[in-house]
Parts: sequence; structure tokens; C-alpha cells
Amino acid sequence: YRTRQDEDKRRLNCYPPSTEANPTLEDPTPDYMNLLGMIFSMCGLMLKLKWCAWIAVYCSFISFANSRSSEDTKQMMSSFMLSISAVVMSYLQNPQPMSPPW
Amino acid sequence: MRSVYLLLPALLLLLALPVSRGRYNDDFDDGEDLADFADDNDFAEFEDVSEDTAAEPETAPPPRGAPPAQPAEDDEDEATVELEEDGQEDGFEDSDTQDQDMYSKYDPDEFDGMEKPSQSLKDPLIIHTVPAHLQNSWESYYMEILMVTGLLAYIMNYIIGKNKNSRLATAWFNSHRELLESNFALVGDDGTSKDAVSTGKLNQENEHIYNLWCSGRVCCEGMLIQLKFVKRQDLLNVLARMMRPVCDQVQIKVTLNDEDMDTFVFAVGTKKAMARMQKEMQDLSEFCSDKPKSGAKYGLPELLAILTEMGEVTDGVMDSKMVHYITNHADKIESIHFSDQFSGTKVVQEDGQPLKLPETKKTLLFTFNVPGMGNTSPKDMDTLLPLMNMVIYSIDKVKKLRLNREGKQKADKNRARVEENFLKQTHNQRQEAAQTRREEKKRAEKERIMSEEDPERQRRLEEAAQRRDQKKIEKKQMKMKQIKVKAM
Repeated sequence: YRTRQDEDKRRLNCYPPSTEANPTLEDPTPDYMNLLGMIFSMCGLMLKLKWCAWIAVYCSFISFANSRSSEDTKQMMSSFMLSISAVVMSYLQNPQPMSPPW
Repeated sequence: MRSVYLLLPALLLLLALPVSRGRYNDDFDDGEDLADFADDNDFAEFEDVSEDTAAEPETAPPPRGAPPAQPAEDDEDEATVELEEDGQEDGFEDSDTQDQDMYSKYDPDEFDGMEKPSQSLKDPLIIHTVPAHLQNSWESYYMEILMVTGLLAYIMNYIIGKNKNSRLATAWFNSHRELLESNFALVGDDGTSKDAVSTGKLNQENEHIYNLWCSGRVCCEGMLIQLKFVKRQDLLNVLARMMRPVCDQVQIKVTLNDEDMDTFVFAVGTKKAMARMQKEMQDLSEFCSDKPKSGAKYGLPELLAILTEMGEVTDGVMDSKMVHYITNHADKIESIHFSDQFSGTKVVQEDGQPLKLPETKKTLLFTFNVPGMGNTSPKDMDTLLPLMNMVIYSIDKVKKLRLNREGKQKADKNRARVEENFLKQTHNQRQEAAQTRREEKKRAEKERIMSEEDPERQRRLEEAAQRRDQKKIEKKQMKMKQIKVKAM
């Protein structure tokens, strides 16, 4: 129960800024997936491999799902656009459907 | 019969007219008489061929039989079959077959150098399969359709998972809001505004992590509550959880003011969690060196273990009410950690030990598991309310808990010991650091002397440096003498 004394003693402290360092250390998934997505989309573009481009699209989706709200949306959008462009370019250059590896 | 024979070549010539027109456009005019055409054209001598085709429709010549046997396209097949069946009139429509008959009857010597077309026609026709992307069927793109379906499934799961996590968070907050608002003046602060203004809602860090900062209570600086849900929005995570179930967790970190807590380190929780924390946490590894003891001694369930700095601390913390709380909700408790030397997990540095002791803060840490093992419903959040009561109770209790004289002495000794160890370990490093600093200073000074342009000033600076070095050496010698005298 709050008394006058208690109210004087009470101090309001702001949200601690120290938690910013921890999220990056705790979960590196979005960063790894972002990097992986970029690598796969470059592979897909350069080597004209369709499956690389599709995996890049998946990687950028996974990175988006795991991302923190404080993270830059520009980075996310750029990786997404790159993977989409990899898929589109692969199909423009070679419209044949993808053949399964088996 | 003869009239038919005369009529047929005329019809044949009619048919042949467009063909020959293509070849001899310059020679013929449009309005030419058919009879003249019949006389002048090259095919006049092939009138016999037309008679044969008209007279004997049943006995189709072999060359005509050959193409239908090949794997030709359906249209051609039908055309040739029709020819065989119908006979007279249709026989003229296909000029190719006419040509075959004509060429088989002519004198081979007349066409030296030209290949017999019938031979090439006798060879089997190889019809290549149309490339998949030119076929008008979506079925050949089944891999792409699979990929897109997978992406759609991922997006659906993202939306569903995000909504579920959001609902769970709101349910938790609604059930705990009253308790928090009665205990804390400030509930919910996202750190964006300079003044501490209560926002009254959760701060969403992620699709699966929600934070709540409460402050404004006696005994504590503030309380940070983190709702760490499982990643329901990530399909990969959902599939991984099917193999290995994981719980949603609620982590509560209460930071206390210096005067609010006596010096002790204590932890209680599941055996696995205690073993892990003893290895990972800086303070537990230094102050609680004994292995985790079973909680049965203090009336706790078997599955819980205790890590403590000294027995007196456990007796002080584990009063009847705490035991009651913990026993009733043992399945939801992952770990409870009280420490005045809390500095987080052990920091592993590449270049040896850190030079300074890590900063410590008086902290109470609670980690609770949400019941349901991942398949929680918003109703389950109400079951965590008694645990929040326990947290509030613990804050008040820790403020009141004071060690007796013996305990205090032990605690102080422990802390001094830890600090000494740390200093010893870093002694070499600190010496090295000091040495490098001294060398840096000397080098800088030498550079300054060298860079002086005026030779007069240079000499003076050099002399000053030499005098300083001399003084230092003398001082050291004096010290050594003093030590020797003292030793004696």
C-alpha cells in the first residue's frame, strides 16, 4: 500500500538502454540469413542457377521473419529485391522449367 | 470412262496450278486458258500417273503407305488414311503423294544428280519432343509451382504465428496489468521519450519478444519483464520444434539500489538450469563453488536444485512462504537467481583476461516457463499471476534480509578473495600494459626532440630528457637500498 513516505522514496527510472547489445549477441539468425540470401542470389545471377535464386528468396523471407523491429527495413528490402531479381533474371535467360536433381 | 480420264488431268492441273505459279510467275498470266496451260506445263507427260490414282483407289501405292506407318503428326496420319479410304477425289488434294507416284514412274536417267526423294521419304521420320517451355502446359513447371506454394505456406504461417504471439502477449498483460499498476508507478516505457512517461502497454521488440519496463517502487530501481515466446512466425522454427519442443518463457529482471540488498549470491531452479548457470554465470561460478544441492532438504520438490554462497543465505531466503510458492508452481520455475555481484554471463575475451573487474549490479532474476510446452493458449497466461506475486514478495523480502555478523564476514572475505584472484591473474597483463605505455611516452618524446628544427632547442630538450632518466634511475636505486635495509 502506498503511503506519502513511500511516494517520496519512489524514483522513476527510465528504460535502460543497456539491452541493445544483447539482442545482437543472442540471436544471429536474421544476419546470417541475410548474408546467405545475398550470396545465393549472387550465385544464381552469375552462374544462372535457378535453384540458387529460389533458395535466396527463401533466405530473405526467413531473415525477415526473424528480424528485430529495430533493424533497418532498407537492408531487408534490398536483400528481398535482390533475390527476386535473381529469380526473374534466371528465368528470362533460360525459360525452361527447373529440373529436379534426381 | 474416257471422259473421267480427261476430266482428271484437268483437275490435277487445276491443283498443280498454284504450285507452278509459285515457280513460274513470270511466264504465266492470270487469264490463261487451262488448255494452253495443260499443253505447256511440265507435268503434261505425267498424265498416266493421274489415271492410276483415279482407277485404283484400293491398291494404294506402297510409298503412300510408308509415311502413315511412321510416327507422323496426327493431321498427316488422318489425311493419308482418308486418302486410302476415300479414293478418287481426295487423292488429288495431296499433291505430295501425287509427286511420289509421278517420280516413281519417270525415267531415272532424266534426273541425273538429283536425289530420289522417295528414298529420303522412306527413312524414318524423327519427331523431336518439343522443349518443355514451349509446350502449352503448366505441368512441366511443377518445381516452380512447388516453390511458390512453399513460399505461400511460409507467409501464411508467419501471419498466423505473429497473431498467436500477439494474442498471448496481450492476454499476459491483461491478467498482470492490475497487479503491476498497483505496485509500480511507471508501467511500460519504451525508452524513446526523455522523460519517464508510462505508456501502459508492452513494447514489441520482435515478432516473438515483448518487453515491459516497470519502475517507481520502493526497494527497487526497476523491473524489466521480457516475454520470450517461441518463434511461431518462422516456419523453420515450427518444424524444428516438432522434433524438440521448447517452452515460452517469461524473464523478469529486478535491479535493486545499493542499499536494498545485503551481500549474498543465491540461486534455485531445475537441476539442468542450475548446472548450466553455474558454468555460464560469472558470479555463480565464482561465489557458489559447490555443486547444486537438492532442494528436498528445504522442502522443495526433487527436481529443483539450490546453489548458494553459504547455508545461512539459503535459510534466510527459503522461508515458509517462499517454499510454499515454489512448491506450488515448481513446474513453471526454470530458475531464480538473487545476486549482489551480478554481471551477466562470463565474458570470453580473445586477448586474455579483461583488465578491469566487470561491473556488478544488485539483481534478482526470475525465469518462468509458460505451461503448455509451446502449445499455449491465452488462458494459460493467468496461471503465471501467482508467480508475479512471488516476485513482488521476493523484492520486499530481500530488502529485509540481512546476514548476521558471521555471515557478513564470510561474504566480505569471499569478495576480497575473488578480487585478489582477479588482480593476480591480470597482474602480468597490467604490467605489460604499463610497460608499453612507458615506451610509448619515451618514443613520443624522442620524436618530438627529433622533429624540433632549431638545433639549440633540440640539444636542450635532449639534456632535459637525460636528466629525467638519470633521476629515475637514482630513485630506483634508493628504493632498492631502502628495501635491503628493511630486510636486514
